Amino acid sequence: MLFSPKPFRIVKKEAQTTDICLFKLERPRGEKEKLCYDPGEFFQVSVPGVGEAPFSVCSCSHDFIEFNIRGVGSVSNKLLELEPGSYMWLRGPYGNGYPMKDLIGNNLVIIGGGTGVAPLRGVLKYVEKHRADYEKVHVFFGFKRPEEILFKKDMEVWNRIFDLHLTVDKAPKDYKGRVGLVTKIVEESGLNNKNKAVMICGPPIMIKFTIMTLEKLGFNHDQIFVSFERRMKCGVGMCGHCMISGLYVCKDGPVFRYDKVKGVHE
Amino acid sequence: MGKVLEKKRLDAFLRRVSRGADLIAPVKRDTLRFEVVRDYDDICLEGRPLFPIKKFFSPAKQDLFTLNLTKKKLFKEDEIKLKPRVIFGGRLCDFNGLLRLDKLFLSGEYQDDYYRLARENTLLLGINCDPPPSEYCFCESMDLERYYDLFFHDLGDKYYVEAGSAKGEALIMELEDYDFLIPPIRCEKKLDRKDLAKYYDDPAWEKENEKCLSCGKCTAHCTTCLCFDMIDELEPDMKRGKRYKEWDSCQFLNFTLVAGGFVFRKDRLTRFKHRIYHKLQYFRENFGVDMCTGCGRCIEACPRLIDFTEVINKFDQSRV
Repeated sequence: MLFSPKPFRIVKKEAQTTDICLFKLERPRGEKEKLCYDPGEFFQVSVPGVGEAPFSVCSCSHDFIEFNIRGVGSVSNKLLELEPGSYMWLRGPYGNGYPMKDLIGNNLVIIGGGTGVAPLRGVLKYVEKHRADYEKVHVFFGFKRPEEILFKKDMEVWNRIFDLHLTVDKAPKDYKGRVGLVTKIVEESGLNNKNKAVMICGPPIMIKFTIMTLEKLGFNHDQIFVSFERRMKCGVGMCGHCMISGLYVCKDGPVFRYDKVKGVHE
Repeated sequence: MGKVLEKKRLDAFLRRVSRGADLIAPVKRDTLRFEVVRDYDDICLEGRPLFPIKKFFSPAKQDLFTLNLTKKKLFKEDEIKLKPRVIFGGRLCDFNGLLRLDKLFLSGEYQDDYYRLARENTLLLGINCDPPPSEYCFCESMDLERYYDLFFHDLGDKYYVEAGSAKGEALIMELEDYDFLIPPIRCEKKLDRKDLAKYYDDPAWEKENEKCLSCGKCTAHCTTCLCFDMIDELEPDMKRGKRYKEWDSCQFLNFTLVAGGFVFRKDRLTRFKHRIYHKLQYFRENFGVDMCTGCGRCIEACPRLIDFTEVINKFDQSRV
């Protein structure tokens, strides 16, 4: 049936911050079928008796799926109680992710804020696997405070292989890293728009100001890809919850080229 | 050419065509509504039911899964049980509404099984609107198709009956031929069709919207509104329960709520516009046809009689 969830085994759970965990899931033992999803796509994750909520994948693999889950709602808070060995119920993948294949040969600019970094982690994992397909990769990630920085182990790797800029909005005096809004470090980077594609994910306000910054640097709207957050109920373009003007975030998105969604009515 | 059926033979005809099926028709209760007919005398073709026929294709509340938290298989799909149905006394707006819903539920990569089964197992016997059954009807402005299995036109002591499908044709084979041309529906109320994209900021929206109570009756009564929520509910033992689908409304504040508390369409005006733009612009962009069939139920059902046709008719052309 359309809405039937399937069980996936939790093989790893890693605390990222006080309210965020990274879950790694695999198919139940004995099931050999490969997984097929792209960065930017999402699954509907169930907690039986509580409900379903959409979560973007933050991995890139045929063998496992990773979700970065923050306890903000009834479903996510229950999911955080789950431990390795137990199961999560998923259906999907749904939606259109980042157009990785169309961007072959480009320089990539990846800009993320807070938990918006999670879907972009999927993109970077994809690029790690297909490194030769892309030119330079510039990464700009912003978090509120040092203790909220996600994927610290990945950051070390990305710092070596990509042009990574990591910043926090606020930090204690003895913090050694960079402090300041992500838009500021993008602006200071002095990037030009030549042969580049930009992917942005983060809170709506951060997306808005990042785009203004990119405009100043000379980027065109058709070079920018944004990801929208909505509470999809069905995930398949029927229930109406994720509509923005005539677009269904669940099936036309969640990733949109910015020139196609610029100025659309809510 | 069609056929003729004497009114005194209608009950016998309906009995024959609905053998083994549920006969659904407008029945006078507290109000006129489409219901499974128990007594043929209850059928009432005067006026049009304020509730559309969509509930027979996608129920207001529909169980999807039985949950059992004590078992390894936590979700058990609920079997879809559907008796064949014959709907008698639907109007062109009702049946055209189904054509719109087909686009939503049957045209894409994913399809709704219940809806498909309901569509496949329902015969549509319509009745012509001569005159329109409500002062709020404006279907003449909405380019409706002549879509039905059978269509009845009242000729006093008899009905002229025309088939719109092979299934329908088979049902009236034995009736006597009759030569008649069904007149098109003429409505006093009109919708002056405009390119809405140009009028998003027109002040006429605000004036009409001031009356809105966000009660959601407009969407509940709409022929084509079928937005839904999916909800889990547990028994008091917290072990067994249901996952079900339930009608929702874009007019409710929480319709666009995301985790963390953010709501994307916070004010009523944006929600009102979203409803009408979805009906008359977005759906057309996606599927090439309007999502409104001019039944006027959203206006008649509204406790404040909010009338979007008046808004559109009143748009200030000089502003464009």
